[in-house]
Amino acid sequence: MEGNRGSLERIEVLRKITELTRSMIVELSNGSSKMIAIDRFKSYCTNSLENCCCRFNLSEGKDVLTLQRESHVRRLDVLLRVLLIIQQLLRENRHSSKRDMYYMHPSIFTDQSVVDRAINDICILLQCSRHNLNVVSVGNGLVMGWLRFSEAGRRFDCLKKPNSAQFIPVQVEEVTDIATAADYILVVEKESVFQRLANDRFCSRNRCIVITGRGYPDVPTRRFLRLLVDVLALPAFCLVDCDPYGFDILTTYRFGSMQMAYDAKNLRIPQLQWIGAFASDSEKYDLPEQCLIPLTSKDKRRTEALLQRCYLRREVPHWRLELDSMLQRGVKFEIEALSVHNISFLSDHYLPSKIESELTTGKLIGDYQSIHSTNMGLVWNGNGMS
Amino acid sequence: MRFELEVVVHGFIYGSAGVSFSILICNHGVCFSSRSLPTLQLISSAIRRCICSERLCRLSVLLQRSPASDPPLVRISISDTGHGSCIQEFQDLKCPVEGILAETWDGIVYVRTTKIADISDTEISCYQLNLKENVATRKPMWLPSNIKHDVKFSGTEVCLSVSESVDVLLAEINCFFHQILILKVPNIAMEVVADGQDTSGSRNDAVFLENLFSGSSFTASTLDRLKLGFEDYVLGHGSSSTCNSCFPNRDELKSGGGMVCEDKHKLTKLVVEAAVVISEISNPTKNCFGAGCSDTKVLFFKDFVPCTISEAFLKALTGIDWKRHGLTLECAINQRRHALLKWEKTPLSFHIHIVVHYYQKLVANATPLVQQTRLDKKLISKAVQLALEDFKNKHAGFLLSVDNLKISRFAPDLAKAIAGLVLYSNDMDFKRECLAILGLQPHQSEGEVVEETIKKKIISVIEKNDQRPQGIKEVACLLFRAGRQKLQDLDNECYMDDFDPMDL
Repeated sequence: MEGNRGSLERIEVLRKITELTRSMIVELSNGSSKMIAIDRFKSYCTNSLENCCCRFNLSEGKDVLTLQRESHVRRLDVLLRVLLIIQQLLRENRHSSKRDMYYMHPSIFTDQSVVDRAINDICILLQCSRHNLNVVSVGNGLVMGWLRFSEAGRRFDCLKKPNSAQFIPVQVEEVTDIATAADYILVVEKESVFQRLANDRFCSRNRCIVITGRGYPDVPTRRFLRLLVDVLALPAFCLVDCDPYGFDILTTYRFGSMQMAYDAKNLRIPQLQWIGAFASDSEKYDLPEQCLIPLTSKDKRRTEALLQRCYLRREVPHWRLELDSMLQRGVKFEIEALSVHNISFLSDHYLPSKIESELTTGKLIGDYQSIHSTNMGLVWNGNGMS
Repeated sequence: MRFELEVVVHGFIYGSAGVSFSILICNHGVCFSSRSLPTLQLISSAIRRCICSERLCRLSVLLQRSPASDPPLVRISISDTGHGSCIQEFQDLKCPVEGILAETWDGIVYVRTTKIADISDTEISCYQLNLKENVATRKPMWLPSNIKHDVKFSGTEVCLSVSESVDVLLAEINCFFHQILILKVPNIAMEVVADGQDTSGSRNDAVFLENLFSGSSFTASTLDRLKLGFEDYVLGHGSSSTCNSCFPNRDELKSGGGMVCEDKHKLTKLVVEAAVVISEISNPTKNCFGAGCSDTKVLFFKDFVPCTISEAFLKALTGIDWKRHGLTLECAINQRRHALLKWEKTPLSFHIHIVVHYYQKLVANATPLVQQTRLDKKLISKAVQLALEDFKNKHAGFLLSVDNLKISRFAPDLAKAIAGLVLYSNDMDFKRECLAILGLQPHQSEGEVVEETIKKKIISVIEKNDQRPQGIKEVACLLFRAGRQKLQDLDNECYMDDFDPMDL
């Protein structure tokens, strides 16, 4: 059910579509081959901090699509087809998945990524987020723990079964009535780790909310996590594999992706803390050599590229040190390697020790504890706390 | 019976603003491999002399059969009222006499001529040369001179006798003159007369090639005359009458021209002119070119006479950026009398015809020199490119570059999407405004009308882009907000290498 705010947003996006269309018609009628100019955003650069001028929400130039290059016209063709679909969705207030859109012109779109790019272009052009276009993706993320919420009138009560996985809602803007008794949010990279925690009844023994994006997190997972962090003001921790891909997933949660840099302000989670797995954990937790996998040349190249990202130098230099340590050691390992000692080692020892350490020594700990002390039964109804 | 006609050409002015035209004598320009080779070479010389004279001239070719001789001979007389000739011109004439030609011609030419550029001399020199002899050792045999009897004139007559059918000779000469007509040289009236009975019993009284020029042709540039002459040539497939099955309408023929000059010496400049004629194929199955045949013939003139195709000329053609004009060259074939360009992705919906004229021009008063001209491939390529550009500028939509052709294929889809964005909008004011911008009335809001209008505008923009010199791009404007950021043109796919699956 659409609220007033949603309706106004929809009307505003439709107005921007007419503005964009009018502008193209004027250009064509003036004999100009310029069609549209799309702001270019990026979430990081690889310059030194002195030369870095990355700022969230500010574009780094424009992609000007003209009728002078085939690549431009091809991109424009896809963009306009997608825009036409979106206009119809908004007019009729219906929703569509990106996959549905792909199958509307599969011979033209050739690949899902082509549609994704067009949607990103349209978001930039219309200065909105993807959900404002009534475009949704199939939910991929899972959640469990001390949480209760509603989505478009449907109630999700994880409290009754805190160790059972629930799908993260796709229409996050429809999520209301969030209630929690958790002390923190734990984000895990992989579904296998999520299931390990569920089997170990981790949430019964720890007042927390556990979320996984099952690899690279999709937009609803990131938006949902961001909503929880914003609304509940809980500390959020992230556990990923000790390899460059795990680290990249960690940065996606915290800083946003390059593709959706234009919407990073709504998708990034600056409060997210990295609790492992660190390269140093292999010694600290006495992992045998058999559990350590040598970094491939591709891993090394990717790690070196990660180390160049400006936001690591600027905001989390200690993450960078850990990443560099992995590169120096030349080995990586999966979280599951911790099971070498005991299958529940992760739930019984590793995570509790890491989280306790963060909660007692983290600089934000005081703030979160004060919230926690009055947090039992905290409810957010979509308009504010009650 | 002997039947002879003559064309009188009026008001001859050649050159302008003190710049006179003349032709440097080139002895290796024409090298037809036919049996008529010496005849055509000698006709070419006569044409050059006429052009050099800068006066109204007459060129007559007379074929007289002598049935009494054994074997029967045809006496060919080539006479012109040009500026006379010098002995070197014939002494240095390279005329390969081999094969069947060696048996049909004894190599002897009789020359009667006045001096070059001197109409007030009193004598007409007469001599004979054996062109079968080596050029280095070739010596004239002087014959008694004739007296001019105080009449002021200049000219040359060259005679030779060959054992050949008049029909064969006439066909060759006829074809040659039709090619010469492409240049529409305004100061030469040309005639070909055949006198006598042929072996078949038919009589070839006269073959007349007339110069159909109006007075304005004298003031037209050589390039304009080349274009006009080539159009006539294409219309008749090389004959004097228009082919009605291929060209029911002259409007179906479109042309463009290009010229480049290069100052080689103080006295001369090298000029290359090219004309491109494109004929739309109205009936793809019923035309003289053959169904599905889109090959292009390229004719080549050097110093005002048809020239056989050399490898250098072929290289010049293959060096042209055809893709910029929507054509992909598969190969260029030397067909001796013309080059044949074969295109990829044929058949085209039109036929392209090209002619190139390469000549030297005197820029100051000077005596014509005997000089060989080497082909400058770059100049030829440039002249043809300019002709193609000129064509595009005059005829929008033709010869779109390969890139713009690809772009234009998107026009219907783009138009459909934009029209959809207009017509499906609930905002009636917006709809009305868009229709007005497109120049449509409110009642013209049917999808097809709006779509077609937008498509035309897109195509028009693409065609305009195609006419713009390469490298010039428009600077794009901004949408929604003022440009605080530096504009940057997008170069192909950006960010694609950064694509991650995380945004699914």
